[in-house]
This record gives sequence, C-alpha cells and structure tokens, in this order.
Amino acid sequence: MTDALDFQQRLSAYLTEASGAPATVTHAAPLAGGASRDMWLIDAEVGGEALKLVLRRDSPTTMLDEALTREQEFGLMQAAHADGIRVARPRWLCTDVDVLGAPFFLMDYVPGIAIGRKVVQAPELAEARALLPAQMAEQLGKIHALDYRAHGIDFLPEPAEGHTPIQDAIDQARGVLDALQIKHPAFEFALRWAEQNAPSSERLTVIHGDFRIGNLIVNANGLAAIADWEFSHIGDPLEELGYCCMRDWRFGVRHLRLGGVGDREPFLQAYERIAGTTIDRQAVDYWECLGNVRWGIICLAQANRHLSGHEPSVELASLGRRSAEMQYEMLRLIEQMGI
Amino acid sequence: MYDRPDLSELLDAVRMHLEDQIIPAVKPDPRLYFHTLVAINLLKIAGRELVYRDAHLQAAWQRLNALEDTDKARPADAQEAMDALALRSDQLCAAIRHGDYDYEVKRAALFEHLLQSTREQLEVASPRHLQILQQEDAAS
Repeated sequence: MTDALDFQQRLSAYLTEASGAPATVTHAAPLAGGASRDMWLIDAEVGGEALKLVLRRDSPTTMLDEALTREQEFGLMQAAHADGIRVARPRWLCTDVDVLGAPFFLMDYVPGIAIGRKVVQAPELAEARALLPAQMAEQLGKIHALDYRAHGIDFLPEPAEGHTPIQDAIDQARGVLDALQIKHPAFEFALRWAEQNAPSSERLTVIHGDFRIGNLIVNANGLAAIADWEFSHIGDPLEELGYCCMRDWRFGVRHLRLGGVGDREPFLQAYERIAGTTIDRQAVDYWECLGNVRWGIICLAQANRHLSGHEPSVELASLGRRSAEMQYEMLRLIEQMGI
Repeated sequence: MYDRPDLSELLDAVRMHLEDQIIPAVKPDPRLYFHTLVAINLLKIAGRELVYRDAHLQAAWQRLNALEDTDKARPADAQEAMDALALRSDQLCAAIRHGDYDYEVKRAALFEHLLQSTREQLEVASPRHLQILQQEDAAS
C-alpha cells in the first residue's frame, strides 16, 4: 500500500503544480487491458472541482519503435479534440520522469465500454451497435481530413522518401522479424506476396493507426471516444478501412466484417459520402490482409518483450501463440485474392 | 524414469488449482482475473503441444521433403529433429526471399505447406478457432 500512497501523493503534488490550484488525488486504480501502456483511473479534486481522469503512462519497454511518445500522443489528441473528433479531452502532460518514473498524461474519463467482446455482444448495447458503423465512418472521415501541418503535429511518421505506405509497412514488418531474428516461412511468403500484389496509393492522410473495436469507447449513444493514438502516422487511409475489418476485431461476431458490428459495404459507402471519394474495394481487402500480417508479427514482438526478460508478463507471452490466428487469416485472405 | 504425476498430469494439476482455487479468489481484481485466465489457457496449450508435437514434427518434415523433392532422413532424437526442422525452415525463408517459389506450381505447393503448418499450430494454440473457420470454409 505504501507504493499506492506514494503514487497518489506524487500525483497530487504534480497536479497542484500543473493546475496552479490545490489538488488532491483521492483514489487511483489500475485499469485492466492494454498490454502496451500502463493506465490508471484517477479521482481527484483540483481547485475544489471533482475530476475523474485517466492517466496513461509509458511501459518499461515500448511495443514498436514507431510508436509516438506520450508527448506526441498528447499533442495529437489536442489537435483531434480541437477539430471536433470524438476523443477524451487531454488535460495535462508530464515529461518529467522523476514524478512517476515515466512520462505520462492525464485526460478526462469518458464513461462507456471499450472491451471488444462486450461492445459487440452485450445485449444492452444493441442500439449503440446499430449506430456504430456510420459513426465510425464519420470519425474516420474527420481523422483523415486532419491538417497535420496546420496543427503542429508534423512529428507524425511519414513514408520514407520515395516509398509508398505499403513499401514502408512491409519494410517495417520485415525489420521487426529481422530484429528479433525470427525466420518464419508463412510471414516471409505473405510479405513477398504483399510486395508483388500491392495496389497503388491515391491519398496520404493522418491515420489513427489502431482504429478498431476495442479501442473505441462506446456508450448508449454509440461511439463516445476514440482511444489509443500512439500508432498514428501519415499513410494511406485505406489502411485504416481494411484494418478495422480484421477478423480479430470482430470479437466472436464473425459474420459482421466491420468489427462484429456491421457489414462492410454500408460502412464503406458511408465513408465514401463523407470523404467525397471512391474507395477501391480490392485495395481495402489487401490492407485487411496486410493488417493481419502486421498484427501477427507484432504478436511475436510482444511475446519477445516477455521472453527477453525485461518485462515478464503472462499476457505478453500468450500473444506469441495467438500469432497463428492472424497467420491463418492472412493466408485465407491471400487465397481469396489469388496466391 | 520419473514417478507420476507425469508431465501432462502436472500441467493438469496446476491448471485445476488455478481454475478451482485461484479464479474465485481473484475475481474482484479484473487485471489479475484476466491474467489468470490467460495462464490457464497457456497450460492448456502446453498440454496439447505434448499430445501433438511428435505427429506435427513428423508431418512437417515429410511436407518439406515433398516440397524440396528430397528424401532427407529425420534425426531420431526429438530435440535434434526440432533443431533440424528449424534449420530447414530458415533455409525455406531464404529461398522464398530469393524468389525460388515465385512461380506457379512451386508457389501453390509452398502455399499448401504453409496453410497446413498454420493449421497444425492452431490445433495446439487454438483448436476452437480452427474448427470454426474450417466449418465456415466448408459452408461457403
């Protein structure tokens, strides 16, 4: 308990300084889920006002080198919030590692459910689910319209000079395998297939990078807030349309390709109306497949965080054996598109 | 050589302890509860690996022989065979990257090998997932 008390006292002192008003953290509890970041639910009184906040802190090791820092993620959320995108209001950023051992930020708590299985299956969310496909299309349209230069968020990773977003994605995936010294025939084949069957990219936009059921906070009115912005980058918006259709984000409701909440076609049509553009369905298929390749490889990288001894975790370890699910899906999708 | 419980029975004993004693006790702590469920699942995976490993090793070895049109003998010792299989897998990766499997007949044969290897991984890691997808594929 001394650790918990110390955590609260340090955070109280920080909030007092950051807000310029007397602040007390009255309760702090870890939030479940999320293998990549340390998250806490915080009750605080700041200048006499009761606030419910979420604290997001770096883990000892990061998932991928490409992930944004907490400072960058905070800046991006501010830009998104300013443009009316549904995101928790970002409040305070602390880059001083002496306060809580690692950089962190605080944002408003948004009531609702993010746990994927509950979002797609809970009976009380049936009406919310009906709203989600159109809301997801609308929010993606807004994210893809963010002017990253105007908002001072030009730190977002861009495709390397002369590279398409697909080349970059493939290089990154290969880089992860090579860095872990993993030789894996199924991924090797899939990456070669992906190189040889790449569609062209028409647009470059801001990409959320992990937009899917499980990262969307849902309440009775549907999509309340989009969480987890750390994998945001500049890329092909079709990446994101394929990504949110991946089987792993359907959480058991297998016949609804859009995250277990809707059919894909109405979602794509809604997106086309909002973005004022026509979407190549085959290119979306391709990105869905590449999404499985990348997620399957990240699962191996996650397991390695445990195996390296730096971050012992049964959850991280388990992802190593989950990778096969993504491998099977990527192979099935390749078969459907033509090997 | 060793007294019972054997390896599989040891895994079962630990899994049953987690399921019957620990799960009810950690239910109030969502994170600990979730991690305990994950741990139980990993013990089940380990148990299935014990059952399937020899058969999968043998099948993979024979598929690689067919794919590479050779008749290499498998080392009798299981660990040596696993190491040898890993080495052949590495060589297969290099061949794929080199473009050796870019053309139709070899490509299709490679694809079948990869699909079957992945199915065997899932028989150990997630048999229910595999079963559901195979039913879906059969229905369509």
